[in-house]
Amino acid sequence: MTARGQDRLIDISLYSVMAVMLLFFYIPIFTLMAFSLQEGRYLTLPFEGISLKWYGELFNSGPALSALRNSTLIAFFATIVSTVIGTMAAIAVVRYRFRGKSAFQALAGAPLAFPQLLLGIVLLLWFSVLGRWLGFNTGVVTAIIGHIVYITPFVMVIVAVQVYSFDPQLEDAARDCGANTWEVYRYVTIPLLWPGIFSAAIFAFLLSWGNFYITYSLAGSTRTIPTFIFSGIAVGSSPLYPAMATVVFVPGLLLVTAAAALRRRSSRTA
Amino acid sequence: MEQTATRSWHDPGLLVKALPSVLLQTTCFIAPLLMTFILTFQRTRDFQLRWTWDLATWTDVFSKPHYWTILGHTLVMAAACVAICMVLAFPIAYGLATRFKRFENEIKILITFAFITDATLKTFGWVLFLDKKGAANFLLSGLGLPPESVAFLFTDWATLLGMVYNLLPFAIFTLYLSIDTIDRSLILAAYDAGASKWRAHWEVTLPLCKPGIWAGSVLIFLLGVGVFLEPKVLGGGVSPMSAELIRQTFETRVNWPLGAALTLVLMVVSVFVVLLFSRILNMKRAGFGT
Amino acid sequence: MTTAPILDIQDVHKDYNTYQALKGVSLKVRRGEFIALVGPSGCGKTTLLKQIAGFEDATSGTISIDGRDMAGVPAAQRPTSMVFQKLALFPHMTVAENIGFPLKLRKVPAAQIAQRVNEMIALMELKPIYLDRFPRALSGGEQQRVALARSMISSPKLLLLDEPLSALDVKLKKVLQSELKRLHRSVGVTFVHVTHDLEEAMMLADRICVMRAGRILQLGDPTDIYYRPADAFVAGFIGETNLLPIDVVSRNAAGITYRSEGIADPTGTIPAPLVADSVSPGQALMNVRPELIRRIGTHENADCAVNATVTEIFSKGGTVQYRARMPEGHDLAIEIQGTSALPMQVGENVRLGWAKKDIWVLAPGEA
Repeated sequence: MTARGQDRLIDISLYSVMAVMLLFFYIPIFTLMAFSLQEGRYLTLPFEGISLKWYGELFNSGPALSALRNSTLIAFFATIVSTVIGTMAAIAVVRYRFRGKSAFQALAGAPLAFPQLLLGIVLLLWFSVLGRWLGFNTGVVTAIIGHIVYITPFVMVIVAVQVYSFDPQLEDAARDCGANTWEVYRYVTIPLLWPGIFSAAIFAFLLSWGNFYITYSLAGSTRTIPTFIFSGIAVGSSPLYPAMATVVFVPGLLLVTAAAALRRRSSRTA
Repeated sequence: MEQTATRSWHDPGLLVKALPSVLLQTTCFIAPLLMTFILTFQRTRDFQLRWTWDLATWTDVFSKPHYWTILGHTLVMAAACVAICMVLAFPIAYGLATRFKRFENEIKILITFAFITDATLKTFGWVLFLDKKGAANFLLSGLGLPPESVAFLFTDWATLLGMVYNLLPFAIFTLYLSIDTIDRSLILAAYDAGASKWRAHWEVTLPLCKPGIWAGSVLIFLLGVGVFLEPKVLGGGVSPMSAELIRQTFETRVNWPLGAALTLVLMVVSVFVVLLFSRILNMKRAGFGT
Repeated sequence: MTTAPILDIQDVHKDYNTYQALKGVSLKVRRGEFIALVGPSGCGKTTLLKQIAGFEDATSGTISIDGRDMAGVPAAQRPTSMVFQKLALFPHMTVAENIGFPLKLRKVPAAQIAQRVNEMIALMELKPIYLDRFPRALSGGEQQRVALARSMISSPKLLLLDEPLSALDVKLKKVLQSELKRLHRSVGVTFVHVTHDLEEAMMLADRICVMRAGRILQLGDPTDIYYRPADAFVAGFIGETNLLPIDVVSRNAAGITYRSEGIADPTGTIPAPLVADSVSPGQALMNVRPELIRRIGTHENADCAVNATVTEIFSKGGTVQYRARMPEGHDLAIEIQGTSALPMQVGENVRLGWAKKDIWVLAPGEA
């Protein structure tokens, strides 16, 4: 076989594997979307009819809307805090050489390789014991803290990639031009790290918004979208839940696409 | 020669940037772990924690083979998940890093989105797909196959499918990063030396992305031992894994010390397995050379 | 007009942990001068520049600019401006924003910034159409001009250049070198130019400062450095030269008396102006540039003459380089115009000679 033919064969087989894999990734997602259109009361096939009526139900359902609100609230705060802390940690790891750096890296990144459920349980024990001493219950705030612990390492890793490709001499150049520490950050460092910070923030938001394990342990009686849906699976549910799942997908897809577009634009200007 | 001074913790710039992470992870990760350890020496009675400081919980843990059978089952499932993920992820990561230039961004977006979508939703989707009266059987019977030909929901296989599904993106990302950083000229040099495509792949690409394979494996293994959703929802709770046992201990039996002890046992054993494997791999490398 | 130096460096040391990058450097730079810091990589020239710019603090010693001690003054407030090796143009700003950035930080009104930017691009001979482009859309030479414009716009007292031409190809380098020279003449700012390329330094600078291992070896004008190097290292760094070992018998006010096995010299003396201060009785080196050696006839007289066998010939276009071995084993490099009347062949035994005025005697040192 010619080298060219061999090359084509490799390409074709890799693309086929990729296609099968993408299909695999999207089977449950498409299934959910399909079931959300079921007109009848139950999640059985064949459908009694196709309709959007469960979407209407969704926006009239108090618990569903409150789950949506709670998820958004938790994700909003978790995103802001974890993006700030994670970005600073990324700069510290990439740009500074200091004693105990590997220990710092291990500590700051540890929750990445920690099963989420266990993280949730360990934090639940912690907050329960603290709560008994200090008089508070688990709820939205503890859920936010749990999300921050879990998400900050992700932010650190994503932003670190951007910091690596950032030439530190540009900061020297800015200082040479007369910029003070704050102006260096404002005019040079942050604008240049922005694509990384922005996609990290989107990633953080989505990780938090769709988080099940940690919320499940730490949110007390507060329901978020994932825990609401989990309860739905157990109950033997109606198409309300697939409809909700589909609503959850849409902003996710938009944000991921936006982040990718931004990254591409920045790689063209860099 | 470029020289940079080692900056110490006295540098205010470094302190401001590193301290928040340090505080966050010590107060909300390390301290809770220590607390978990302390709790294993207490007891709960009448749904209340009693500070007894004894070894009752640990005696219980070490005298009941039931816990250890479940742990063994968990480790086997996690290991199987690692193996399957690595085999499936390699061609994708390789293609993304070297060949899919035209659709690289689109593929990345699609994978990222699938990854970022909440696991509960996707697991729920799998239930609807794999159910006896689910989408898969509906489509297949439409093609003329006998009813209920897909009937492995509520078995270990379904659990494994869910685990692979949810953890595969981690494997793809770590492998992609390590293949992407390989110096392309090394592979060209291998071709130049007369190696065939397969040989170049085998002798150059694979050994060079060993760190990526290892990192991905460790990550997936550690996350895999902690899954709970998949065995419960897809596996139907038929053969529970450690995380489910731990959850039950907390929620149903309200035995915090035991739950804490089982959590620690799961963590320690998993880390031990990882260390054992890295030791074995290192010995192999030292013994036979590469 | 004051005659005080614009830049006064006194005994500056810089340590990075245990590594001593600068081991006591003192240097006075005159107002309006173009000075080049030259040396191999790791010699401390870039480190010295960083101390002047204020990116790092010297371990000890003082740096004064225009009579003011710079200790504790951050880079942003020093009257210096740097052109970086990799230029360090901000990729997210247009050319106009890049050039105007120093003025923007000084809160200069926008209209005034625009006017100054236009003046700068005129000075740098950049086309106005580039102003709204991003730096990456420009060629290497154009980026260079943008970087220079950004450095000059704030009217610095000292322009510091950190090997800005090292990444360019030879042809473009030549163009930008003459550009730099022109710029220096027209603006009258003091330039401190770091380079490892001695030819570049010779061409541009009024004075050259040769550095090695954190110390200044020699400071002088280009002719001094070339014909009267302070030691064997400087002599060798400047390009190929001949360093013939001699024995200095005595030294007095008139000069030295010497002995040498291979060199036939009827007088055996060298007058004082041709001998480095550091030379004392004992070992020394006689430096003769290859282009100052010529072939002489068998009975022709020369101030210094040697016998040698030609071993290699390289043609370099206009000139021909020879290598010849003296009987006691020392190799000589000779460079002769290609049109020379007396060509030599490989294997030929020849007599070579040079004039005493072309000699420079220096101490052996570590080379």
